[in-house]
Amino acid sequence: MKEITQKMRDTARELLSSGQVALVLGWEKGYPWYKSAPTFIDKVEDVERLVFDEFCHNNLSKYLLDLAAVDGKVALFVKGCDSRGVNRLIQDNQVKREQLYIIGIPCPGLKDPDDAAGKNWGDEINGAVKCQDCRFPNPVVYDLLLGEKVPAVERGRETRELIERLEKMKPDERYEFWAGQFNRCIRCYACRNICPACNCRECVFDRAVPEWLGKANNLVENQFMQLTRAIHVAGRCIECGECERACPVNIPLMALNRKIINDIEELFGEEPAGLDPEKKTPLGRFELDDPEKFM
Amino acid sequence: MSVGLNAEKQGTGQKAWEPKILVFACNWCTYAGADLAGLSRLQYPPNIRILRVPCSGRVNPQFVIRAFQKGLDGVLVAGCHPGDCHYSTGNYFTRRRYLLTKRLLEYMGIDPQRFQVRWISGSEGPKFQQVVTQLVEEIKAMGPNRKMRDPE
Ligand code: SF4
Ligand code: SF4
Ligand code: SF4
Repeated sequence: MKEITQKMRDTARELLSSGQVALVLGWEKGYPWYKSAPTFIDKVEDVERLVFDEFCHNNLSKYLLDLAAVDGKVALFVKGCDSRGVNRLIQDNQVKREQLYIIGIPCPGLKDPDDAAGKNWGDEINGAVKCQDCRFPNPVVYDLLLGEKVPAVERGRETRELIERLEKMKPDERYEFWAGQFNRCIRCYACRNICPACNCRECVFDRAVPEWLGKANNLVENQFMQLTRAIHVAGRCIECGECERACPVNIPLMALNRKIINDIEELFGEEPAGLDPEKKTPLGRFELDDPEKFM
Repeated sequence: MSVGLNAEKQGTGQKAWEPKILVFACNWCTYAGADLAGLSRLQYPPNIRILRVPCSGRVNPQFVIRAFQKGLDGVLVAGCHPGDCHYSTGNYFTRRRYLLTKRLLEYMGIDPQRFQVRWISGSEGPKFQQVVTQLVEEIKAMGPNRKMRDPE
């Protein structure tokens, strides 16, 4: 990873000093040691701040939404999942491919920052849940690739096992499970804010008129919010797992997102989101011979 | 439709629980089918409220969630058969959307009977009668919905 970090700095230096890009999005070392925060570099002398390590969780593509006003191209580093986020935003017409210089990093899989808390640098740390069964560790779109492509490896099945367990339950038990989860939601909207599939300029949750979502923080409103979010990202979620990581109360949101992805693949045979920016999303298109199980 | 009013009238005196069921009916097919059922004097239980929508594709999944939130015991989304949509393709989107939403609601713990989707054309008065009758019977057997419902 030291090598990747060095290449990142060299690339950023070259892009900025030649004037090819106006801004570079990357990660820098944060505090404590198991956090690597997003950083925005527009001066050559700052490129030494850039790092890549096992705590570069943030999907930087989301920040592209805020950068419409930047004069010139923007360069950003992407892991496999992040690159699908870029495609998502292009697909939604939120950014233009020509405005971007995408630097891909084949991703070795990240570590779990919660497990690292209280430990020291060099200790054994669990892998991040979101990386356990990552299907696309290599960026699917890039202008430059730093390093060799890596194979997709299954490191665990936590989310899949939870889904399988839930699917076997009776409806009442499943309801209890999710009610228990959504009861804890504090409606901070971190899951929405961090998500590259959530990119509406004005979110239905923020609107007072019409008031679709009440402001009361109770189970029913939370359920309304959670289902709305889940359906909204259906067919558009790129499985970056950022929503679940950002959730301060650890609601297993990926057991919701992934279940919908499974269903879409099973029902419509659609490919995962964020691979092809030209293609319409699964719920934005149809086939004449789609299944018709219950009608 | 007058079915909504009948429900209250027929509750004569005794306060037994009766299910409330919301039917989203597409203007061009299912609503006409319901009208035909009425004109043909086909009897069905008075537990449904019909909400006319321009197309089944107009029904946002949020409408369904909101219906349960506000105390409905069952929801039916009904529209034209594939190929018959007044707007050509609306119901194809409905089909994908609700195949998925139905699975999602069930994954959340909603009982499958409580949310249903059907194609009912303008000439299918008897089908409307049969679908609604069966839906009401199923939901009567299950009792009131307590899930995703506002506290009373
Ligand atoms: S989900 Fe995949 S690409 Fe994304 S950080 Fe984890 S291993 Fe890397
Ligand atoms: S819903 Fe979660 S996993 Fe899916 S794209 Fe949004 S943040 Fe990533
Ligand atoms: S991040 Fe977690 S607590 Fe915050 S709104 Fe989302 S689910 Fe609720």
